[in-house]
Amino acid sequence: MRRTDKYRFWFVLAGLVLLHFSVRTKLGDDRIAPDFLLLALLMYTIRAAPGPSAGAGFVVGIIRDALTPTSFGANALAHTFVGYLSSWAKVVFFAENLFVNGCIFFGGTWIRNLVVSLASGQLKGALLLWELFVWSPLQSLTTAVTGVLILGILGPWLAVRIGDA
Amino acid sequence: MRIEDDRYGSRADTLVFLGCVALSIAAMSVPDAWRAPFSQALRQTILAPLLALQETTETLKSSRAHVEALTAQRDSAMLAAAFLPELRSENARLRSLLGLGTRLVTGYVPAEVLHQAGPTDPLTFLVSAGRRQGVKPLDAVVSPDGLVGVVSAVDDQTSVVATWAHPEFRAAAMAVDGSVYGIAAPHGSEGPGIWLLELQGVPYRSLVPDSTLIVSSGLGGVIPRGIPLGTVIGQGAENERWQRIYLVRPAVHPASVTHVMILTGTSRGAGNLRELFQAEGKSP
Repeated sequence: MRRTDKYRFWFVLAGLVLLHFSVRTKLGDDRIAPDFLLLALLMYTIRAAPGPSAGAGFVVGIIRDALTPTSFGANALAHTFVGYLSSWAKVVFFAENLFVNGCIFFGGTWIRNLVVSLASGQLKGALLLWELFVWSPLQSLTTAVTGVLILGILGPWLAVRIGDA
Repeated sequence: MRIEDDRYGSRADTLVFLGCVALSIAAMSVPDAWRAPFSQALRQTILAPLLALQETTETLKSSRAHVEALTAQRDSAMLAAAFLPELRSENARLRSLLGLGTRLVTGYVPAEVLHQAGPTDPLTFLVSAGRRQGVKPLDAVVSPDGLVGVVSAVDDQTSVVATWAHPEFRAAAMAVDGSVYGIAAPHGSEGPGIWLLELQGVPYRSLVPDSTLIVSSGLGGVIPRGIPLGTVIGQGAENERWQRIYLVRPAVHPASVTHVMILTGTSRGAGNLRELFQAEGKSP
């Protein structure tokens, strides 16, 4: 691996953060548009150990909590869980595979929304069901497709051995 | 970046994870008085350039979409402005003849809504105007269709808006003809009536027909009088205190709003804004 590869990795993550605050608003309904910030976190966590992944999840979550004060702390909890679990998923599911990466992106987004919905305590009944079984799967799908496309295009920059799905 | 080895499960990793979970639970438990300054500090430091980027994107998007409409409106406004000094002087002269005071002036600050990805986004959201633009806590936030919510926290360049869907939102309300007064509150998140408002505290003897427009009454001085809240679509539950509760379809859905106006006028709550919203409704 070349020395510049690690800089490319961080460059891609920074690009995803910028996309989240710029392009994302043009990609349709907020409830289903891909979550680039979570995607950046997941791309980091499936390449890092569980401890740093949980820490990175907590930092991303607490920053998001500052943007959605209704559920302060819920995002930190959710992103901590997702960071830790996706890091473990790398070992269990051999995350070098492109399809498996897509599944991790899908599951990570859905679990994040599940934990936020439950921990915030603001969504109940039919509203919670709509969130978990309509909006969250759609957002998870768009996020997963976006993540797979990014991995497909920038795979070598991310130092991932993408196998045949 | 090097892919880490597949030897997992070190005690340090587990401790970091448990520490982060504990901190998250602590964050959920701290009172608003502690979490608000912390959130504010994050928005004004780390997030400030990113929120500025989002604001710029929203501005560019709306600029491209509405440039022709704005041009037409500007031409119309210029035509109308040609007669403005004459009308203003005539109005002042007539008002003085009638012994009336100065007409209500309600200042407002336009702002873009900075929606975030998350299940609770419709309950609170950020807008791109803050203290520097004259926004204050409890300022009413409206769209051309009606009330969106109130400002709950103010930063230098951004503000947090608690929408009518927030569980703690309440507004003094009345039927548009002034026949019935009550309190507007979110209906809740369970059952078939999600994303509805309800008009509480209506005396049992008072009946409100369906399709009646409900507007803010101005009681309490926080939300000005006359801002549309929604229309009555039926009667909700009656409780043991002999009151009626009516379900109200909101005039504005928070998730669909991209631009808002924050009412910052010093005479807030002192006048009736009904005519302004009627005028908005007639415009194309």
